[in-house]
Amino acid sequence: MAPKKHEEEENLKGTLYLVFALGAFIVITWAACFGLFLERF
Amino acid sequence: MHLHKYEKYWLLFGGGSLIVFLLITGIMAFHNGSHPPSAKNTINHEKVDQIAPFNKPGVHKVSGKDWDYEIVVLASAFYYNPPELEVPVGSKVKFIATSKDVVHGFEISGTNVNMMLEPGYVSEYVTTVDKAGEYLIVCNEYCGVGHAQMHSMLKVVDKK
Repeated sequence: MAPKKHEEEENLKGTLYLVFALGAFIVITWAACFGLFLERF
Repeated sequence: MHLHKYEKYWLLFGGGSLIVFLLITGIMAFHNGSHPPSAKNTINHEKVDQIAPFNKPGVHKVSGKDWDYEIVVLASAFYYNPPELEVPVGSKVKFIATSKDVVHGFEISGTNVNMMLEPGYVSEYVTTVDKAGEYLIVCNEYCGVGHAQMHSMLKVVDKK
């Protein structure tokens, strides 16, 4: 069997954007809840 | 193992945020002393109204402690004793509460004070009441037919 050729790099740009958009959403909502916790007594 | 360049970016971001969140939780717990309101303190719930401090529920000014006021609350179906609490704004308050019969809740709405009151256990929470106003205290653990009517009021008033 011939050695496996290195596959062509996939284009993951859309995945990158979606992952970071989701990450930003989680960070923003978490920070908002934490801000609410700190602001209240 | 081959990793795409972008995969390294989001793995780094995910791992980094995990570290940041754990650091914040650690600082809140060990430096700011933020803990669950269970005081690991047990009490005989059948005789609770004869045992200090629950023999005198109410707002008590204290000195020589880290806090200025102790608020002792005794919950029973379907009533908080005392039914109304008043403290001056800016004072550091320790809430000490327990239940006489079943599990009750002690939530001061619009604040971070939210405790479960279990018979036989004392729940405590220390906070500085820095905003004047009237705060409704509600039971948020279903305790029986009168649950929805079970409430009290915390009045944070300007110093005279």
